[in-house]
Amino acid sequence: MLMKKKFTLLLTLLLIAFVGWAQERNVSGVVISSDDGLPIPGVTVIIKGTLNGTTTDLNGNYMLSKVPVNSVIVFSYIGKEMKEVNYTGQPKIDVTMISETTQLDEVVVIGYGEVKKKDVTGAVSLVDSKTISNLKPIKVEEALQGTVAGVNVTQQSGSPGAGLDIRIRGISTNRDPSPVVIIDGYQGDLNTINPDDIKSITVLKDAQAAIYGTVGANGIILVTTKKGSRNTAPKIKINSSFGTQETTRKLSVLNATEYAVLLNESYAANGQALPYPDISGLGKGTNWQDELFSTAPIYNNDINVSGGSDKINYALSASDLRQEGIIGGDKSGFKRSTARLALGADLNKWLKFNTTFTYSHIDRKSFNDFGLGSVLFNAVNMPATVPVYGTDGDYFLAPANVGIEIINPLQQISNTFNDYKLNKLNGNFGLDANFANHFTATARIGYNTAYTNYKSFSKIVDYGGKVFDVTRSSVFQSRDNFNDYTFDAFVTYDNTFADLHHVTATVGTTVYKTYGNNLNATGFDIPNNSWEFADISLANGISTSKATGSYVYDQRRLSYFSRLQYDYNGKYLASVMLRRDASTKFGPDNSVAWFPSATLGWVISNEKFMKDIKKIDLLKFRLSYGILGSDKIGDYQYISQLSGEATYVFNNQLINGRAVGALPNPFIKWEQSEQFDAGFDMEFLDGRLNFTADYFNKKTNDLLIGGIPVSGIFGIAAPGASGPTVNAGTVCNSGFEFAVGYKGMINKDFSYNVNYNLTALKNEVLKVNNRTGFVEGGSFGVGQPLPARMQVGFPIGYFYGYQTDGIFQTQAEVDAHPSQAALGAEAQPGDIRFKDVNKDGVINSDDRTNIGNPIPDFTMGLNFSLQYKNFDFLAYTFVSLGNEIVRNYERAQPNVNRLSTSLDRWTGPGTSNKVPRLTTAATTNNIFSDYYVEDGSYLRLQRVQLGYRLPETTLRRIGIEEVRLYVAISNLFTLTKYTGFDPAASSGEPIGSGFDSGFYPAARTYTLGFSINL
Amino acid sequence: MKKNILNKTIVAGLFTVLLFIFSCNDNFVKISPEYSIDSENYFNSPDDYYMALVASYDMLQATYANVILGEIASENTLCGGESPTDVIGWQQVDQMIHTSTNSNLKDIWNWMFAGVQRTNYFMEFKDKLEFDGKEQMIGEVRFLRAYYNFELVKWFGPIPLKMDKRFNLGDETSIPRSPVADVYAEIEKDLIYAAGVLPVTQAETGRATKGAAQALLGKVYLYQEKFAESANVLEQLIMDGNYTLVSDYNSIFENEGENGPESVFEIQYTDAEGAGFGCLQCSEGNVAVGFSGVRGYTGPLFSPGFSFDVPVQDAIDQFEPGDHRKAVTILDIVSWADSTGATYTTGNEHTGYFNRKYLPRKRSENAQNDLNLTNPNNYRAIRYSDVLLMAAEANNRGNISDAKAQEYLNLVRRRAFGDLNHDVTLTGDALTDAIYHERRVELMGEGIHFFDLVRTGQAANVIPGFTAGKNELFPIPKEEIDFSAGNWKQNPNYN
Repeated sequence: MLMKKKFTLLLTLLLIAFVGWAQERNVSGVVISSDDGLPIPGVTVIIKGTLNGTTTDLNGNYMLSKVPVNSVIVFSYIGKEMKEVNYTGQPKIDVTMISETTQLDEVVVIGYGEVKKKDVTGAVSLVDSKTISNLKPIKVEEALQGTVAGVNVTQQSGSPGAGLDIRIRGISTNRDPSPVVIIDGYQGDLNTINPDDIKSITVLKDAQAAIYGTVGANGIILVTTKKGSRNTAPKIKINSSFGTQETTRKLSVLNATEYAVLLNESYAANGQALPYPDISGLGKGTNWQDELFSTAPIYNNDINVSGGSDKINYALSASDLRQEGIIGGDKSGFKRSTARLALGADLNKWLKFNTTFTYSHIDRKSFNDFGLGSVLFNAVNMPATVPVYGTDGDYFLAPANVGIEIINPLQQISNTFNDYKLNKLNGNFGLDANFANHFTATARIGYNTAYTNYKSFSKIVDYGGKVFDVTRSSVFQSRDNFNDYTFDAFVTYDNTFADLHHVTATVGTTVYKTYGNNLNATGFDIPNNSWEFADISLANGISTSKATGSYVYDQRRLSYFSRLQYDYNGKYLASVMLRRDASTKFGPDNSVAWFPSATLGWVISNEKFMKDIKKIDLLKFRLSYGILGSDKIGDYQYISQLSGEATYVFNNQLINGRAVGALPNPFIKWEQSEQFDAGFDMEFLDGRLNFTADYFNKKTNDLLIGGIPVSGIFGIAAPGASGPTVNAGTVCNSGFEFAVGYKGMINKDFSYNVNYNLTALKNEVLKVNNRTGFVEGGSFGVGQPLPARMQVGFPIGYFYGYQTDGIFQTQAEVDAHPSQAALGAEAQPGDIRFKDVNKDGVINSDDRTNIGNPIPDFTMGLNFSLQYKNFDFLAYTFVSLGNEIVRNYERAQPNVNRLSTSLDRWTGPGTSNKVPRLTTAATTNNIFSDYYVEDGSYLRLQRVQLGYRLPETTLRRIGIEEVRLYVAISNLFTLTKYTGFDPAASSGEPIGSGFDSGFYPAARTYTLGFSINL
Repeated sequence: MKKNILNKTIVAGLFTVLLFIFSCNDNFVKISPEYSIDSENYFNSPDDYYMALVASYDMLQATYANVILGEIASENTLCGGESPTDVIGWQQVDQMIHTSTNSNLKDIWNWMFAGVQRTNYFMEFKDKLEFDGKEQMIGEVRFLRAYYNFELVKWFGPIPLKMDKRFNLGDETSIPRSPVADVYAEIEKDLIYAAGVLPVTQAETGRATKGAAQALLGKVYLYQEKFAESANVLEQLIMDGNYTLVSDYNSIFENEGENGPESVFEIQYTDAEGAGFGCLQCSEGNVAVGFSGVRGYTGPLFSPGFSFDVPVQDAIDQFEPGDHRKAVTILDIVSWADSTGATYTTGNEHTGYFNRKYLPRKRSENAQNDLNLTNPNNYRAIRYSDVLLMAAEANNRGNISDAKAQEYLNLVRRRAFGDLNHDVTLTGDALTDAIYHERRVELMGEGIHFFDLVRTGQAANVIPGFTAGKNELFPIPKEEIDFSAGNWKQNPNYN
């Protein structure tokens, strides 16, 4: 009896003990990372809802004791997704933690909202701050070259502070094809931003941009700036670098002896006396380019502090950039200073506030660096026999026989005086209110306000009877004030129904206003003819004509938009957008524009039948179609204003009247673009290999063609008048984009990244409805017909000139060919033979045809980076194929200098079939033909960089987190067949770009720098 | 909890208010430009009319192209320039190989029609307001309209006409090219009206006068070979006695001689405003002058230019010995350089001679750039000597009075030679030839000779390359033919 009782008690005790033991046990295990399979030390392992926890050791091991059954164990670590495990009694729990933001989960800004990258249904590319800091661009636009498929960036000039032009998926209009830039939600520009303040750039390339309606047709660039992050101790980062710039190229021109020999030959060919009977003492002469180019420094420093508590995040930064020019010494330079504050705060549980505030200051000096009469043009055309200085130590005046425009370029620079200063404030204020479950209301206002101050001094100078001679000194001063603001107010609803149907709806309004004014004046007779005294306050001279001017402008846009996004379990995605725009730019008969669009996505990799294919992490198809617009058109073109010039002379005094300006067009409206895109995204190998391809087709209708040629009887050739601007053209850009990236790891010390992108683009004009069927533009030579065209069936801005067919070797060949006299002179042996393109037996202006175009057929970026232990290395390359450039920096004048290629000129039958004979007599060799069109394809190694991180352990002791030293070379080499200064330069005009009148070349920069993270 | 809802309501309310303040209606985007004047609501004061009148005068300055190209077209000069392809349009006219794609001829068409359009803008609103002096202004506007239409009919023949209203889009396909006789009829009407209301002198120099209207009318009659009417109106002008021949021929063309006693109508220019190649018709200076200058010149009196419109030996040989006009009309650069030490370079077709009447002179400090485009030399459009010679021609060819013809002719010759020993006593056809010859030497370099040759049927004989039945007119710009969509046909024998 007692035995039984004891046994029961024992059993009960045991049971209790057992259950008790079962209730609270020890658990242990190891935590590893999914990225590399290595253990993660420092992971917090905690029992949910309690304070009972521990952390993993250096080997990733942990042990938890007294863990109740059915409790939840939480594993958390910064940068990794939190993992929760139900404890049901298992003694060992090993955990693999995945990185928190895999590429798929990255959040992408898409305009009035964000989506996860895996849910994106449009053609959207991302450039993150790491890429930007790898490239260390001086201007932000440079970071988009070669890093984003479909984007082409060209520089207008290598001079410090010169502008850059961005083209997304081709040139969509003959006016301004640049995309609109939205910074933190408000319209702004990239010009003044410190690249280091940028967190990410998103490029919307297709109908995804349609939510921006009449602003989206050329693509949208969304910039998000750094704002610090929550729950982070203040991080201080200091970047500093010093670089030396030199020119990437110098042209090969004749030296003094070669010049004299060839000049003698050209005079002899025309029966004139030899200008240099004795060439023995001439030697090499002056190398004008060597005299002009020098090395120039560039300093770049910035500091930023960011961090946050759990309710506030902040970022503060300041930067200072100073760049001198490789030509011009202190007459050319660019300085930019910025200071910025960004703040985000949770005012309470449902109301968030954010603001940024940036002050920028720019100071720029420049000289005439492009075109006939520019410094480089003069240097290339000035004979080497002319010295820089005369025997008296003053600048040697360019001789009269080289024409009235060519002057001593060093003298030109020393007589150039100008200064440009810009002060700008921009920023935004915004409120996000989560005022009800699933609803967020956002109201924000972003603004830009800038003041510029420009002065240029025209000194009395005698260049020797040249067109640039100044007989009366004057100073021109101009002040501008530019302002704009963007106000957004929208409501977002986001909810998931039945765990499968995820819906996001956005409805809102945007108001945009841009306004400003300018005041300018010219003063005459500067005391002492000197820059120190050049100011209107001291210029007492009186002018007999109007010496002042001003303008004001005020343009507005009112928009309403809505977007509905739906996805079924992350597998089937769709979105539709509609936007209504009203703009002051549109004529009264077309004042409202509607822009609808739709995008679709199918994440095939989420389908059941794909689940077994483990190798593919993501396979998504995307389709998008939409109507977008562009309102980058002139103001008030629907009103006939008396803006013409009407000045005559009575009593020997100028008198101003009033006359009609441009003919109006009351039907004027926005340019409308239909964009279609089909693409797919793939990811393999745990996200290490990714792959994107797109086919796009953009047709832009209603292109505004201004000064539409209409009959002269309407007075459109009067001063200040022009033909009307009419929506009359259509251009189509279509092609493929392809991007592939691979993150490789050889071992834990050695990892690398390779990214390649390719864009194939075809541009074709489909309609030009202006009676003549084409619009002309550009300029070649002096007094020659316009050489570029926008015409149906050809790329926009194609070159229109004569085709050549070798050189006439003998008189017999000349006689066998139709006469070329209509072009200006009879041909002789040694002259260029032009093709009779229309086979009518005569060579005349009807034989002009398509001889090339400046738009590249392919652009590619190949970017490589690797990390080995504490070293990092990167190389970014950009390739452009198929773009053509016209050599337009040779002055067609008998006595100017020539390129070295003229040494290969024809001197007798069989001596050359490429370069024509030299003579001072009249020939047709200077007219615009494919002899002047060159292949501008190039490969440029944009940046090569080697960096070293100092060992962490030593630094940690003094409280520094990271110190990195690096050396880098920008534009190390450029492979190209082009003989001019820079195949990458372009004036950026849709009709007329590609004519190289002496582009200031890009600089090669050797940089040494460091960054310190505290 | 309550506080939370209250907070949210306040914020939601604030938000809505913000929304209303900023989210305006479409009137936000319906604005008119600030500081701008709309062309259809103008002419509200006499000053507005004056401004539109000035605008009508403005296009006269663009006739520099008519003057220099007219001279190049004749056998007086060669085109010149820097090279044989410099301003190819002018080179082709010089050789009489110009076609309908000639951009310089297109400029003349465009600029003269711009002048017509500006005068018609004034005329369209002439009845809107009444004020003193309006009639005289209308007289000036109609004079200008006649001037522009006369240039157009001289160069292109039949032209579309629209009186008192601006041309509107659509007119190019509906308004036909009026026959030459009709164009002249309208020109005559305008000038008769102008001559009736314009004063003999104007307070502001440069504005049209009664004499200007009469002289132009006489010229227009002469071109139509309406000799009686021409003689009639020109003699009225002569009898009114308001003009005299200046005895020192040289002084006519110097700066000090501007708007002198011999000037019946003079197109005004100044160098006080800058100009550029981008808009030659905008220049307030005389562009033709810079283009005619001596290439690379340094030396006294003159300043350099582009060496166009260079006189040929044959033209120089037209001057008889003792003719003071020769040294004024022609600059012999070789002798000049020898005697003054001036230096120069040579351009295309260098003949050693330059059009001295309209050569760039040394400029004041105030002259604005581009100095080649802003020369202040006024164009003496109608000189009293031209009036006398036209009167002589009308009297002679109209068989009205050879005696009067001789009288007028000899006035000009006496001034030219400074004596009475070079009087002409010929009659009939011989007198006609003498008058033609005198016109050539008196008016050499002023862009008139080519049209004299054409209207008297002599062009084909003396101008190399001139094709009769074709080159009497210049081709209508090809673009205009296209714009008219079949409404306008090209002039004969041009394609």
